[in-house]
Amino acid sequence: MQDYDKLLFAALILGPILFGALALISPSRGLRNAIVIIAAILTAGAGAFLITRTPLQFFMEPWTAHLATGLEFLIVLIVLGLAINIRSWLIAAMALIQLGLAASELLLPGQGGGTESAAPQFVVDNLALILVLVVSIVGSIICVYAIGYMKHHEQHAPPTAAGSGRFFFFLVGFLGAMNGLVMANDLKWLAIFWEATTLCSFMLIGHDRTPEAKNNAKLALLINTFGGLAMMVAGLIAHLSGHGENLSDLTAGWAMLPMALLCLAALTKSAQLPFQSWLLGAMVAPTPVSALLHSATMVKAGSYLVLRLAPAFSGTRLAVIIAIAGAFTFAAASALAIGQSNGKKVLAYSTIANLGLIVTCAGIGTPLAYAAGLFVLCFHAASKGLLFMCIGAIEQKIGSRDIEDMGGIMFLMPVTTVITLIGMGSMLLPPLGMLMSKWLAIESAMHAPLVLFLLVVGSALTVFFWAKWIGRIQTASYHREYKAEKLPFTILATLLLLVLAVVAGGLMTMPIFNAWIIPVVRGMTVAAWTADGLAQLDLAGQLPMWPFLVFLGLGLFVGLISFARFKEKNVREPFLCGENIQGGEHSYNFRSIGDSVNTAWSASYYMGSFFAESWLTPWVNLLAWMVILMLFGTMIGKL
Amino acid sequence: MTLTPQMLTVILAVVLGPILGALVSGLDRKITARVQGRWGPPIIQPFYDVLKLLRKEALGVNRIQIIYVWLHLAFMILTVVLLAMGQDMLMALFAYTFSSVALILGAMSVRSPYSRIGSHRKIMQMFAYEPVLILLIVGVYLITGSFQASSVAQQPLLVKLPLVFLTFLMAAAIKLEKSPFDIATSHHAHQELVKGITIEYAGPYLALIEITHFYEIFIVFAVVASFWATSPAIGLGLAAAGFLALIVVDNVFARLTPMWMLRYMWTVPLTLALSNIIWLYCA
Repeated sequence: MQDYDKLLFAALILGPILFGALALISPSRGLRNAIVIIAAILTAGAGAFLITRTPLQFFMEPWTAHLATGLEFLIVLIVLGLAINIRSWLIAAMALIQLGLAASELLLPGQGGGTESAAPQFVVDNLALILVLVVSIVGSIICVYAIGYMKHHEQHAPPTAAGSGRFFFFLVGFLGAMNGLVMANDLKWLAIFWEATTLCSFMLIGHDRTPEAKNNAKLALLINTFGGLAMMVAGLIAHLSGHGENLSDLTAGWAMLPMALLCLAALTKSAQLPFQSWLLGAMVAPTPVSALLHSATMVKAGSYLVLRLAPAFSGTRLAVIIAIAGAFTFAAASALAIGQSNGKKVLAYSTIANLGLIVTCAGIGTPLAYAAGLFVLCFHAASKGLLFMCIGAIEQKIGSRDIEDMGGIMFLMPVTTVITLIGMGSMLLPPLGMLMSKWLAIESAMHAPLVLFLLVVGSALTVFFWAKWIGRIQTASYHREYKAEKLPFTILATLLLLVLAVVAGGLMTMPIFNAWIIPVVRGMTVAAWTADGLAQLDLAGQLPMWPFLVFLGLGLFVGLISFARFKEKNVREPFLCGENIQGGEHSYNFRSIGDSVNTAWSASYYMGSFFAESWLTPWVNLLAWMVILMLFGTMIGKL
Repeated sequence: MTLTPQMLTVILAVVLGPILGALVSGLDRKITARVQGRWGPPIIQPFYDVLKLLRKEALGVNRIQIIYVWLHLAFMILTVVLLAMGQDMLMALFAYTFSSVALILGAMSVRSPYSRIGSHRKIMQMFAYEPVLILLIVGVYLITGSFQASSVAQQPLLVKLPLVFLTFLMAAAIKLEKSPFDIATSHHAHQELVKGITIEYAGPYLALIEITHFYEIFIVFAVVASFWATSPAIGLGLAAAGFLALIVVDNVFARLTPMWMLRYMWTVPLTLALSNIIWLYCA
């Protein structure tokens, strides 16, 4: 390991935390903004540079083991303090148990006779690299976006809201914690960064300090501390049984119970059913937080961990249950999204569904499924980050996040709306990334009928809520010209940057798949993988891109020409079953029976009788808990 | 550049597809008329209709809807191309789905309640038939071990997929806007939605939607025929039988509500298709 590798490593983990601290203490807004931008550029640069240095292994000095123990105690004590502060005795009890676990791990000798494992504490392999890239590039873009957003937010936030300096400390620092998490191999370091992301999200969700924000932050802390607890139990079991307290030994050693506990932790962090409530509550936070939690950080930690463990449990009964848990989440969250008219909630359910897809892919565990999982992870981060950023901008403009209020924004803010449309299109338009991943996932699920059925149902439901929403935001009357709206520079720049990435990545899905994803998957050694499975992977890579590009290009090209050549004299009022009353561009009044004047209006379908959240949630949660029970049921007799 | 057989198939399908589709559509109108005791239009009436529409003024409510008409057509041709190339069927289905989505989005961009309700119903239609179509692909995969459309030529699929075939015909009734499923738009003048999803399209844009529909008809019956792809004669016979069955159903049933369609499609055909798939898993 070179010295500058150490520097790179420090830049990725400590860099964002350090810059976050600088942002916290910076006296003026201008300086703080400059610090955030520098941090974003450096983190993204360091992430990109890591490509050239992968694979890496970090062996730390022996004394750092004590540092890790100290940090672990510290972070548990912070959680305990917070729990007492917010009077949540449940969280306090869990923190106390965590404290007990940490202490017993210190006192009880491991079966390995207390000898230190020879495995590296931090590892950067291709999977970690992909995550670091997502975190440091998409995450940095969101941090820069937050500059423009928070300036507006400060003027409209409730008086209770915390300062923006604190906000940026946790926002930027989050990236460091995330980078640490995905590179950690030692279970102790993993748990430390895991808890650190929990703390960051707690602080960010509670930023406005309204009663709702406080409650939802508490919920996030509760559920994620539960996950953290599962992770620490896994660590203790690994310690006592002498399996080696790191991911590489654990995955090589077939230690099923710790693995199941780590999966449980991953499911809580990824907000998989029945643990979804905290992520839905998290949207009370300022929108950059939602963007960060949903795309680059936090929830991706869970799906990362499942992908990390997948090669080890591939082919076992645990894998079957994980695949079912993910697929069920995919279908149920998509169904729940249909009943929502709150835009951010629709995005949240869509995130949960797509994370479910990643978990499913990890559970299926064939090379093709694994590739599909990696694909979803990358493309979802870019698309969902972009969409949240767009909704944030729209919400600040129209003062509502309700989908039904978004009619007419095409004229009000054409730039944002077109970018939003591209972002939404990237969720369901072939050959863009999300659709390709869904295609790979369904094809790889062919030998698991139940999983396949759930994926099919979920994928049909997905189209429903996207189409409804796209249809609403582009509803517009005829306008001769559209005037670009004024957006803060940081918001406009980051939106353009990310939408360019989404489009460029989307148009090159198969080249990316062949040049990057296939070598990554082929580079892994998994006992359960067969030559047949790998052949399937190559076969999928042979899908020709040109017909898609030709017809998408032609359709758009000719469409835009007709768009430009459409004459104003050919504009007609819509048919309203009565005489249209002229006057005013937005008039949809018509003369009805007895010369009475009526306004034409129709809302979207939400099918509340079936897809209502309040009705559906208890049932799907019940089923999801059954799946969680099955997860541990497979362990019986293997203890 | 030499013309490979595959390229020839693609070109033939793209050129002849809509013509065949239009003829089938004309035949449909003729037979339906005779069933109902009318004389009916000439079989090539659909051509006259489209040519006339193409020459009319390009009227519209806004400009956004125009882009989507072109995408609707482009992705339908893409579906034909992918299938003719013998490419991945699931991908072809996704391209086909996006073609329908484009029509829905175009219809949603205008502020007409009729158009909006029509497009919502179209989404519900897609939601109703999509699982059946994916199960069809699953069935083919379980038999041939491949997702390639070219693999259907290996053996008569009907023998192993009789129930899936039946459910595909039901899905086809939805796609071709046949009663009892013609809820999003209709070939007949219905009262409550007028022309539903296509109400705000006129002239050449409506002609494009018609041409896309011809492609769609062609795809549907090509899929029906491919259930017996080893012998073109039997395949064509199957397509003809399916065609007649759809006309009978269209004339026997009244149109029903969207919720009825959803409930029906997610129970009877889905159960049928699933049981067919399950016995393939067990076999």
